[in-house]
Amino acid sequence: MTFNVFKKKYCCSSRSHNKSNTSTCPRKTSPLSEACHRGRVKICKVTGDRSHCARMAALGLYPGEEVELICPKQGGSQCLLKIHGSTLSLDHESMKNILIAAP
Amino acid sequence: MNKFLMALAGNPNAGKTTLFNHLTGARQHVGNYPGITVDYKEGSLTLDNQHVIITDLPGTYSLTAYSEEEVVARDYLINQRPKVVINIIDASNLERNLYLTCQFLELGIPIVIALNMIDVAKDRGIKIKAEKLTELLGVPVIPIIARNGQGTDELMTAAMEVARENKPWIPTHISYGEDLDETILDLMAIIDEQNFLTESYPSRYTAIKYLEHDDLILSKGQDESKTTAQTIESQVTSVSDHTLKTTEVFPESIIADHRYGFIKSILRQGIVTHTFDQDRLHITDRIDKVLTNRFFGPVAMLLILFGLYQFTFTWSEIPVGWMENVFVFLGDTVRNNMAEGPLRSMLISGVIDGVGGVLGFVPLIMFMFLGISILEDSGYLARVAFMMDRIFRIFGLHGSSVMPFIISGGIAGGCAVPGVMATRTMRSPKERMATLLTVPFMNCGAKVPVLALLIGAFFSDHKASYMMFFTLLAWLVALISAKILRSTVLKGAPTPFVMELPPYRFPTAKGLAIHTWERTWQYIKKAGTVILAFSVVLWAMMTYPGLPEDEAANFEAQRQAIMSDIDAEKITQSSEDATAGEELSTASQELQDQLTTIDVIESEAALRHSLAGQIGTSLEPISQMAGFEWRTNIALMGGFAAKEVIVSTLGTAYSMGEIEADASQPLGDRLLESPHWNRVIAVSAMLFIMFYAPCFVTVICIAKEAGTWKWAYFSMAFNTVFAFILSVAVYQIGMFLGLG
Repeated sequence: MTFNVFKKKYCCSSRSHNKSNTSTCPRKTSPLSEACHRGRVKICKVTGDRSHCARMAALGLYPGEEVELICPKQGGSQCLLKIHGSTLSLDHESMKNILIAAP
Repeated sequence: MNKFLMALAGNPNAGKTTLFNHLTGARQHVGNYPGITVDYKEGSLTLDNQHVIITDLPGTYSLTAYSEEEVVARDYLINQRPKVVINIIDASNLERNLYLTCQFLELGIPIVIALNMIDVAKDRGIKIKAEKLTELLGVPVIPIIARNGQGTDELMTAAMEVARENKPWIPTHISYGEDLDETILDLMAIIDEQNFLTESYPSRYTAIKYLEHDDLILSKGQDESKTTAQTIESQVTSVSDHTLKTTEVFPESIIADHRYGFIKSILRQGIVTHTFDQDRLHITDRIDKVLTNRFFGPVAMLLILFGLYQFTFTWSEIPVGWMENVFVFLGDTVRNNMAEGPLRSMLISGVIDGVGGVLGFVPLIMFMFLGISILEDSGYLARVAFMMDRIFRIFGLHGSSVMPFIISGGIAGGCAVPGVMATRTMRSPKERMATLLTVPFMNCGAKVPVLALLIGAFFSDHKASYMMFFTLLAWLVALISAKILRSTVLKGAPTPFVMELPPYRFPTAKGLAIHTWERTWQYIKKAGTVILAFSVVLWAMMTYPGLPEDEAANFEAQRQAIMSDIDAEKITQSSEDATAGEELSTASQELQDQLTTIDVIESEAALRHSLAGQIGTSLEPISQMAGFEWRTNIALMGGFAAKEVIVSTLGTAYSMGEIEADASQPLGDRLLESPHWNRVIAVSAMLFIMFYAPCFVTVICIAKEAGTWKWAYFSMAFNTVFAFILSVAVYQIGMFLGLG
């Protein structure tokens, strides 16, 4: 798989499209799957399958958004997070593909 | 009277169904879109002398073809062109819900916004200025509380006004940034010039969907005109490459970002004010802290499910008894008022014992569905799915496998057919295949009466515990089978899963009544149609060809011989001596016993000689290894048609094989008294029934969903062999230990 093909398939969304990547997520980012505390985090980048990313974007999970972790990584398999007043459950695969930073 | 179409649309859990139930009451029916699994509900009402047909569309987050529900909702709007769409929005979750509204506006369809759950929003300290939102969005926004109907009159008045205006669809333009806006204009020029899909969609909408890489629109475009589609696709590829190169994203992410930007720009104009701290935990979050906790969550889940079974079996016991008595009474009435013959036999053994055996469980099924509806409507079922996801991962399945399992009877009482079809929403083909092959192991609503019958007869002291045990066993077997499949023939990496958890709510009595009745009615209808037909067919198979003349004459000769040997005078004298004529004399009792013995032997011989009896008997040398006699074999064969038929066939077989006086007993009692049944055989039979080949409708569905009959045959053979080995092991060990 060439880099471009890989990127086309697996790198679907980051905040840099409005040139605000550095200002939105100035600090070091880490996958949501490694978050181990309750509280607010900012989404910096979403990777993974193209249609899955689009679906997550429709649910409000896209770069620049702040979400609240209410039940971080239950035994490393999944997490609950609040966004726009709703509670979403994410599995480990989705969590690995969301890069976050402190707000 | 004029009639027109109205649709209810919105996010899942926004309160669409609650509003639909409030508006239409009992004037509704459930249907299924052709070729797909997504249900729709249609209801009717009369408003201002207009006959209105309202369709409750499936809950969706967007109108892009990311899921089957979204395709269904969009296709309905495009093909049916309702006069007005009532877009239901959760007032406590405004920003996310308005994302779908944006797409209605972009499509140009006339909408009225129902701002639902304003009471919940108020409790959370959220105030929404509906008039200002109306002004900014350009569509009526009516605050409502669907649970108690507050505001629904105003909503329907506004909807009627919009519908009467009958305006053409006027799409709203949302800016997606310089690059994409330019591309959209270029694409619109091509689309308009070529009249490309313009009969169905506004040109701007088609352009946006191409940029969002909507698979269905791309496919429709290819069907419409390959040349134009290729021209558009090459432009979209070019802009996608550009956005990827400059911003590392595909256009759909930019579009989503701008839609949310559009929503925020509206909400920031003083539409929403928060009285409380936005970060504070709501009641739902506090409950979730316990109910989805890693340790307490599963314990609470098991207790709740056990409570469901306890509730179902304890509360349904009395009405189930009443229903049994009704069918016993009907049987006796027919027996006493009709001359003996094939018609009476068919009515008693085929219709009343067959269908009655199934309908007798209606109260139990109703209580079970009521319990499931409470779990569903309260929002707890989604938490079950969330917690089970953790376990499913271990077995190579998916979080989205949970719902097909639950639908199929994960909480006993579902049906494998919609369960198999519900796997369509799964995106990963291997996890989907593993799910559709293992969901038939669940205890569907058809297996519940069989389990209830046998548990009730042989383990009546611990009914709920046994039911819980067999439900957990079904899960265990299904998950282990899935793991084996995912480790061998269906190897592959897992796919991501995201799910929304609705807030906890008190279910409405009306909603519970409607949901419970809908499901119970499906069960009753099945008993009155498929089960009735199969009961009559199986009765015929168990009746004909009947005893050969010489054997029948032989039995008649035996009767005559007994009758000629007796001393008539002695009997008469003894009878006179008997107390008040109510008890038979000793001599008369002896006579009756002798005649009865001959009747039983003849009846059993006739059943054995029937077509079904011959098949059942031929299988007996093998089935005896699991403890099943030939009459049980007949019932198990009937179970291939529909699992409910097992109870009805047992009812028929054990009423035909017994003397008439005993035939009026409930089936459970007859099995308990039968020398061919004991506790070990009951467990062996329950295990076989739970896990052997799915019913033929499920098998057809598996073949259809898998795209090949290979998996359907696999399912029949694998399940039956597995179930038989399990039953043989249980029977042999149980009998060896003397547990029977």
